[in-house]
Amino acid sequence: KSPLVFSILTECGTSKARVSRMILPHGPVDLPVFMPVGTQGTLKGMLPEQLEELGLQIMLANTYHLGTKPGTEILQKAGGLHKFMNWNGCLLTDSGGFQMVSLLKLAEITEDGVRFQSLNDQKAEVMLTPEHSIEIQNAIGADIIMQLDDVVKTTNPDKERIEESVHRTTRWLDRCLKAHQNPDTQNIFPIVQGTLYEDLREKSAKDHIERDVRGFAIGGLSGGESKDDFWKMVHLSTNILPKNKPRYLMGVGFAEDLVVCCALGVDMFDCVFPTRTARFGCALTRKGQLNLKKEQFKKDFRPIDENCPCNTCKNYTRAYLSGIVTVLPVACHLLTEHNIVFQMNLMKDIRQSITKGKFPDFVRDFMLQVYPTKNYPSWIIDSLSAVNIKLK
Amino acid sequence: MKFYVEPLSKCTQRLGSLSEIESKPTVNIKTPAVMLHTQGGQIPHITHEVFKLVSRKSQILQIPLAGMHTFKEAMQYYEGTISSFIGSKDSLSCLTLQDPCNITKQGHHSTLKVPIWTKNGKVYYDAKSYMDVVESFKPDIYFLLSDGDTNISSSEKRIAKSVSNTMNFYKECLDRHRKSDALKHSFVIAPIVGGYKQISRERYISFILEDMKNVDGFLIDGLHNNGPEAEFLEFNEIEPIVRCILNKIPTEKLRVVQGCWNPVNIINLVELGIDLFDTSYCHILTERSAAMTFAIEITDQTNTYEINLRDSKYVDDFQPILIGCECLSCTKYSRAYIHHLLSVHELLGPILVMIHNVYHYLRFFEKIRSCIQNNTLQTLQLSITEQFRNHQKTK
Ligand SMILES: [Zn+2]
Ligand SMILES: [Zn+2]
Repeated sequence: KSPLVFSILTECGTSKARVSRMILPHGPVDLPVFMPVGTQGTLKGMLPEQLEELGLQIMLANTYHLGTKPGTEILQKAGGLHKFMNWNGCLLTDSGGFQMVSLLKLAEITEDGVRFQSLNDQKAEVMLTPEHSIEIQNAIGADIIMQLDDVVKTTNPDKERIEESVHRTTRWLDRCLKAHQNPDTQNIFPIVQGTLYEDLREKSAKDHIERDVRGFAIGGLSGGESKDDFWKMVHLSTNILPKNKPRYLMGVGFAEDLVVCCALGVDMFDCVFPTRTARFGCALTRKGQLNLKKEQFKKDFRPIDENCPCNTCKNYTRAYLSGIVTVLPVACHLLTEHNIVFQMNLMKDIRQSITKGKFPDFVRDFMLQVYPTKNYPSWIIDSLSAVNIKLK
Repeated sequence: MKFYVEPLSKCTQRLGSLSEIESKPTVNIKTPAVMLHTQGGQIPHITHEVFKLVSRKSQILQIPLAGMHTFKEAMQYYEGTISSFIGSKDSLSCLTLQDPCNITKQGHHSTLKVPIWTKNGKVYYDAKSYMDVVESFKPDIYFLLSDGDTNISSSEKRIAKSVSNTMNFYKECLDRHRKSDALKHSFVIAPIVGGYKQISRERYISFILEDMKNVDGFLIDGLHNNGPEAEFLEFNEIEPIVRCILNKIPTEKLRVVQGCWNPVNIINLVELGIDLFDTSYCHILTERSAAMTFAIEITDQTNTYEINLRDSKYVDDFQPILIGCECLSCTKYSRAYIHHLLSVHELLGPILVMIHNVYHYLRFFEKIRSCIQNNTLQTLQLSITEQFRNHQKTK
């Protein structure tokens, strides 16, 4: 039996958006989905029991962090990350490469892999190869794992270097697929690279769809490029990637981006933003973010959002939260719960509107809430009109 | 709220109940009981939602003013009680002055004013400003204002000042309580001060005995300055003064002590007839990554008193914190996972340790009550004391 069964349930008649379902070894995932990030095998003070209760189906964990601590040996002894952290839902792990390049100043990329100086006491030089990345991800045991890719900053204009990265990423994909020990229980997703060059991105996507894989990721975006460049690359990628496999856009999680990219045909998203911002006292709402530290909330006895079904909104006022955010660790749990529910509800509304054939109306209503005076940014107008959704 | 207790004698273990609570008529809290210590209205690391996974029984939340000072103004406009404001409307609230987990810094006292340490620094309260807060919080239980800044080494001068300040507070706060409509159902606890000087304690008690209408219980205050040090107080040092107080106060009223007493001293204090404690010990332990593993029942499979989950020996130990414990942490998570969380400073680490510690402590109090019922408290005391001593030796 395949470890990933994907079926499209409804397609939007106007845009490229679709509702689908993906069945993984640890259960079904309704798409489009937002996946919160639980870097070190835990999600910002939330118990897996609570996440299950919220109906969360899938979350992310980071290979670089877990490979460092607790390390593959412990994870293997524990029987994988699912058992170690008591999470029975689905998991996805990244390759570790991106975090290494962004976290470690000393990382250097060669054909072999990513060479870096270890942060441990010996300060030894270590190499993360495609094979090693898959080995760690096999030990973690996530339902979906990522190939190691050659990451180039989107703002890097050096086309030769980017072309090299596109080819190398495909070569590394083949090494990953070859090294993979658990093809029956874990799915490797290739990553489409090519930064902002249309021809290179096209090349990357076309090379990858020739491989025997069950889904694709769009990488190398959300790294400081302009929004105009960003949406065009997503649009181009989803045009090439096959319709009958899930498409995962890495590192995207702002509400507007989610709505636009669903319209462009993306099925999966992840981002640290909703959980990270919770720590700083920031609550997400359809009308924008509330910074609860602000003086204006001190006597505001309304919940963060009257329509939100989360426990935080049921039991606590803005006034109370305002006094404890950034002071008590529990405040971080409370806002994390709200922000995760916010993201999940947004995705649910997107799915329902597609199912009902009302997605374009949903998009217009959503954007009007964010921009009540209709001063829409041009990238939103352009990207949506590229898939036949007219704002105004 | 009413307190019923038996037997009505001076210095013996006793069983009681807090019931007939106006807003929560079905609630009945059995004593000796333990209040859930909170900071800013939350049990440290455990939200009220998560606590429901620990216990569904009704609890008293101990709410120290220090963490609530920031809401002083908001509460004047808020229509509900402090319990509903902090998101736990089904719990009883007990407003206290000092936080038992934080050291009350010495030497900041002032005439007719008491300092507390908030997140924005030192703030003074006098009887009027304190009662303003109490009225707007509408707690189910509250301590009258006191100057309890004494410990075993306090000078006579400091003790005398503590007594005279608190006498003034007592009169003024009670006066205000009697006039207050908002507080007519609140249960009043009068702190008893006087340091370790019997004559001062006696003097203070005879002063309040003159007018005790509306006083429902007593807090034995001024034994320590709160914070982690209370864990290691020697019982023989506090016993004479506690006995002296209990011999003088009316037996039918609730007797409270604050602070992170270790389990041995809890039993010792229960044997003297103390009715109400708090869970600050759980928090102090959790802060040092320690979990309680002492045996409560003889059948408990353990040979340690407490374990420190940061210790690298737990890195691949896939057993629960305490074998057989039925708390959420022990039924679902391993020492290895908790060790991992603690070593990478993830929020879930202290959450899981705290869940176990609170669960274990609540279970310990249940055992205390059943031992009093069966007249076997002494067996429990011997067992806990022995485990504690062995633990001290191995340290
Ligand atoms: Zn909410
Ligand atoms: Zn336990």
